[in-house]
Amino acid sequence: MKKKKKREVRSRLISFLFTLPSLFFFSLALLIPFVMGLNIAFTDWNGIAKEYHYVWFDNFIKIFSDSRIVNPVKNTVVYALLTVVFNNVVPLGLALLFTGIRGKAGNICRLVVFVPCCLSGVLSAFVWKFIYRFVLSALTGLSSPLGSTFWVLPGIMLIALWNGCGINMLIYYAALKNVPSDLYEAALIDGAGRLQLFRNVTIPMIMPAFTICVTLGFTNGLKEFGMVMSATGGGPARTSETISMYIYNNLYTYSKAGYGQAISLVFLLVLVVTGNLMTGFFRKREVDM
Amino acid sequence: MNFGKAKKRETRILLILGLLVVLIFLFPFYIAIVQSFKTQLETAYNALALPGAFRLDNYYEAVEKISFSTSLKNSLIVTVTGVLLIVLCSSMSGYAIARNEGGYFKVLDRLFLSSIMVPFQVIMIPAYKLLKSLGLLNHLAGEIVMLVGISVAYSSFLYVGFVKSIPMELEDAARIDGCSRFQTFWVIVFPLLKPITATTAALHAMWLWNDFNISLIVLQKDAVRTLTIKQFYFFSEYASDYNMAFAAAMIGMIPILVTFLFLQKYLVSGITSGAVKG
Repeated sequence: MKKKKKREVRSRLISFLFTLPSLFFFSLALLIPFVMGLNIAFTDWNGIAKEYHYVWFDNFIKIFSDSRIVNPVKNTVVYALLTVVFNNVVPLGLALLFTGIRGKAGNICRLVVFVPCCLSGVLSAFVWKFIYRFVLSALTGLSSPLGSTFWVLPGIMLIALWNGCGINMLIYYAALKNVPSDLYEAALIDGAGRLQLFRNVTIPMIMPAFTICVTLGFTNGLKEFGMVMSATGGGPARTSETISMYIYNNLYTYSKAGYGQAISLVFLLVLVVTGNLMTGFFRKREVDM
Repeated sequence: MNFGKAKKRETRILLILGLLVVLIFLFPFYIAIVQSFKTQLETAYNALALPGAFRLDNYYEAVEKISFSTSLKNSLIVTVTGVLLIVLCSSMSGYAIARNEGGYFKVLDRLFLSSIMVPFQVIMIPAYKLLKSLGLLNHLAGEIVMLVGISVAYSSFLYVGFVKSIPMELEDAARIDGCSRFQTFWVIVFPLLKPITATTAALHAMWLWNDFNISLIVLQKDAVRTLTIKQFYFFSEYASDYNMAFAAAMIGMIPILVTFLFLQKYLVSGITSGAVKG
């Protein structure tokens, strides 16, 4: 009995050793910075100086009276909503279309839509900036949406859509393929029309895919940074500056690292709450098979 | 009979729509390729037209200006080392978490899972401070540590799910035959994890190669910049010379597109099994 216990302890000890390499990198990149961040958020550190003072909750209170933060918050919410709508409607539409195309042609379609996903936001933004500026004007006479204070966010969203919608398309495609065909047949025998079929059979059956794509889409939309940085850098006149960029600017442009860190913690709280609420909302609507 | 005819027409309409989608998605690639061979005059005259002649001048100039070999080398070092470390670390930790219950392993599992939600901006400022104090700022090693660190949680999570689906009998048998725990893992278990290793490696190769956030913070000196971040600065610097910039863009695209063709099977299976993160 004692021997068995000893072996058990030894086995868990070896397992513990197995987790150490991961824990080492995880601590350096995430755990330690996260704890340090909790500390920085209560200081007036400027990002460079060796010295700083504790200002306690001043940074957090300041967020609510900061007039400069209103714009980024508004932009971030608008951008996330645009993304979540278009980056679900378009991929679902494409997935539905591709399930109707059989054989090699269908494979090629899916491959082509997925290809842009392996390009960086930097590259995508560069190519599309050119298209907006020169090709769009040559074809339609319109000027680049990235120069307009109203169209800049939809313009960036469209680049992100081209760059990323292949991922959601694949998730929806896989979900659609998994709907058992006898469900459709049964509904057809019952005299269901196409629209009814889609609403009452397809949608409930692919609910898990919605849960993933909508929740991740919205939280990722809220986090958007790289694409905006590459496409506009926040312009024109800060109309595309997102909250992520505002945090970045507080460190590198405004030298207010402590304040930036405080915003990021509030931001994290919002993300976690929103993500959980949305997952809960969709999970309730999933059907068990 | 009539039904069959309608079906055939529908198939044809879907095919045409599919072709249209393909053309729309390929259009930006066409634009990029065409500009990279044209002269500035040709682009100014008509951005859509094909080049008058097949010239490589833009490419020669771009390779020279972007210090291509240095940034390519940096990108390769970061991606290859990063992916190797991610696979090594997370296969081991994923295995340990999957095969042990309660206590430390449960806490670690929860810790890893909740860290996936943390946006980069939360750790950006302190990570910068930490790397600076460790002397790892502007070093590829610092970049690799950061990339591996923010990836191991998620990739461990992928491994946990997979390990749970394979039976323990083989490991028990190996243990009885006198294999140590370490040997059992590398000789018996690791080869069984091949499918999830391929998926993890493919997804992370793509993410590491394209990383923008961490490179922007960690790699602030020209000599250590990876291709992606180098291009970010390059595009704003040479904003007026579009043709050369497009040649530079093509140079950045080709390695990733070629790799993609080899890895697409694993990427697709990874994504469709729910392996997506922000």
